[in-house]
Amino acid sequence: MIEKKRTDETNEFVSQDVRKIGYIVGGGLQENLKARLIVSASQVQEGSFVMIPSGNWVYYGLVTNIQLGATDPRFADEESELRLPSDLASWLHGQTLYTNLEILPVLMLERGPAPETAEYQTWAQEIEDRSRSEPHLMPVKTIPPHHADVYLAGEGEIAEIFGKPTREENFVLGYTREGEHPVCLDLDRFVQRSAGIFGATGSGKSFLTRIILAGLIQRNRASLLVFDMHNEYGFDDIASDSGSKVSGLRTLFQTRVRVVGLGAGNTIRGAAPDFNLEIAMKDICAVDIELLSAELNLKETTSTTLEALVSSFGVENWYNEFREMENGAMMETEDGKKVPAPQSVAAWANRAGVNVMAAEGLHSKMSPLFHRNYILENPASDSINEIVTMLQQGQHVVLSFGDYDRDLDYLFVTNLLTRRIREVWEAQTNQYRTKKSNEPRPLVIVVEEAHKLLNRQMASQTTFNTIAREMRKYYVTLLIVDQRPSQIYDEVMSQLGTRISGWLGDDDDIRAVLAGLAGRETLRGMLTHLQPKEEVLLLGWGVPMPIPIRSRRYDQRFWEDLKEGKAGLQSEKQTISDLGF
Amino acid sequence: MNQIQIGRLLSATTRQLVVGCQVSQIDLPAIGSLVRINPQVDYAIYGLVYDLYIADDGLVRQLATVGEMDEKVIADHRLNRSVPIEIRVLSVGYKMAGQIYHLLPPKPPLGLEILWLCSDEEIVEFTNSGRYGYLRHILREQDVAVEEVLAAHIKLADNAHRQKGEADWSHKAVQEVIVLLRDDYAALTRVLQSLADSQIFS
Ligand SMILES: Nc1ncnc2c1ncn2[C@@H]1O[C@H](COP(=O)(O)OP(=O)(O)O)[C@@H](O)[C@H]1O
Ligand SMILES: [Mg+2]
Repeated sequence: MIEKKRTDETNEFVSQDVRKIGYIVGGGLQENLKARLIVSASQVQEGSFVMIPSGNWVYYGLVTNIQLGATDPRFADEESELRLPSDLASWLHGQTLYTNLEILPVLMLERGPAPETAEYQTWAQEIEDRSRSEPHLMPVKTIPPHHADVYLAGEGEIAEIFGKPTREENFVLGYTREGEHPVCLDLDRFVQRSAGIFGATGSGKSFLTRIILAGLIQRNRASLLVFDMHNEYGFDDIASDSGSKVSGLRTLFQTRVRVVGLGAGNTIRGAAPDFNLEIAMKDICAVDIELLSAELNLKETTSTTLEALVSSFGVENWYNEFREMENGAMMETEDGKKVPAPQSVAAWANRAGVNVMAAEGLHSKMSPLFHRNYILENPASDSINEIVTMLQQGQHVVLSFGDYDRDLDYLFVTNLLTRRIREVWEAQTNQYRTKKSNEPRPLVIVVEEAHKLLNRQMASQTTFNTIAREMRKYYVTLLIVDQRPSQIYDEVMSQLGTRISGWLGDDDDIRAVLAGLAGRETLRGMLTHLQPKEEVLLLGWGVPMPIPIRSRRYDQRFWEDLKEGKAGLQSEKQTISDLGF
Repeated sequence: MNQIQIGRLLSATTRQLVVGCQVSQIDLPAIGSLVRINPQVDYAIYGLVYDLYIADDGLVRQLATVGEMDEKVIADHRLNRSVPIEIRVLSVGYKMAGQIYHLLPPKPPLGLEILWLCSDEEIVEFTNSGRYGYLRHILREQDVAVEEVLAAHIKLADNAHRQKGEADWSHKAVQEVIVLLRDDYAALTRVLQSLADSQIFS
């Protein structure tokens, strides 16, 4: 909720550090506002957060462009300082050369008539009586007039819009570019819908994901299941570029985070996982194989063959039975003829009335799976169930793939697990709705390399697609992390609430990240100008308005702040100056 | 006040005055000088000298053809010429009931009114009143060497202001000129060049 904007005539703004930087000279809702800059251009940057109080409203927007102008281009072309005395030249430049800002207006907030007027009293009273609605942020519907003053927002204004860092649900994700004011992400809102973290390789996705996951674990409103394809999140890691140690979530949150290794005997970054995930053959369904079609290069006949297998042996036994068959085994009849041996694929195919070649082809294509030692006939425990239980109880699970770094393993295991989770959460939600059980624990499934699972071909088959689209009502959302957003199915992209993007170079990727947002052209420019590893752009439903920020550093200090419950109110720069450097 | 009389009005429009004077009467006023006519008590018209014109009086043609000329003849011609020297003045404002306006005078003065040279105090008073509105009367002119008149005027007025301890008047005046002319690159460039040549600025 927004507090009263103006307290008295002299203190119009929430914070002391607002600075007037210019005044409106033109523009509109469509083509951005234009403002004449009255301070040095070095004090503003692309993405600077500005406010324009005018009449009963305050407008909030972003600087999207800084442009040099001249009343006549010849004043700009000519180096008049060489021809005129320096005083004259500088006066001339002062009047004929100028800098304009382009401002994308995003939000507006009613602030009422000037304080201490009778109108203000009436206005405030109406709000009190609830005959007028409480002022709230809304998308801009009108614009400030000519010559309205433009201010660089201060810390207080940033907090008004993005939330106060002192509130529990608000998590400082970074700092404004020029002011170094903390910018918060509302974590409760963040997990309400699926979200995405994008950026080219090396732009800082994994680091930012760690930061957000740490915040979510700290906040403790949702359980996390991390599909950790590159073994980055559980145990400590070494940063590939700087060579410094990067703490893992398991190290920091200890028993609240469980690291699960795929298969027995797998170590993750030299450490033993908390337990192993072993998949029972009876848990493998025909659909789990079908969605490996692209990966295993399966033929169209696959589903017919699978159906026949299931009807021959039952849902729980078909996989094991098929695996045991011997592909190509022959035997000789009494009269010396060679025929398929009874234990062969061909013999079963003949009995079941399916195409022999198709069955044999499927068998040989499935052989990589048959040789995975994390798939067992009788695992010691039902580890899938254990994971589900942990998540329900509020623990967080990092599933590390260890040496199983092929897409095949990633697709197969994540889908199988997610399918089970979906069933459980759907059932529990339905029970909850009929008042038969507790409210389900919200769950966020974190998917690295999301395009492998959510690309156009896969999306129609995987559970992830369903989750992205409709599992919000069942308390499950996705956090997808990816360097190629353009490869992700548009329907999934359009479901994402919060989008956080680091630097992207590819046009298609940029288009995908910005799809469906207002002011795309402007935001596109901002995306391409982001500093890799340092800056990200916050976008979408989960944030009140787009804003580029300097991302918080994931380092020792971050951990100390988090442990002490400090929200990260100070930026590094401030701390350094506090220390007297 | 020790007033300097320059000449008498020959003809006038609302925008311009033509004054005749004898060389014998005074030293000719410089281009850019602020001058004044008082048609009535409590009504003064201010102008800026923009041109001086010495007309051919017939005799000068004859004299010019003579080869060797006596110095006395030349001096006599200059002092006693029958056609006066014309001083051309742009109206830039007026004062009525003690109030200065940078507007064109409501009515022109009548013939033979006396033209006075303004003192430093008057220059400061006139140029400090309002916001340099009188400059537009100069800038409007087509047939006048605007940049020269302006540069000369700013130099003279700057001097008057400095006498009164006001050092940054010329800065503000030039700013105003730039604002008024910034959409006219050619004119502004000429004016700035003249100002540069006038060497008031560093
Ligand atoms: N928030 C951050 N804090 C500290 N270092 C970072 C941060 N973001 C990026 N980096 C640096 O950039 C490198 C690449 O970041 P990473 O998250 O691995 O990129 P991506 O996952 O996008 O490929 C890291 O090794 C780290 O040194
Ligand atoms: Mg990464």
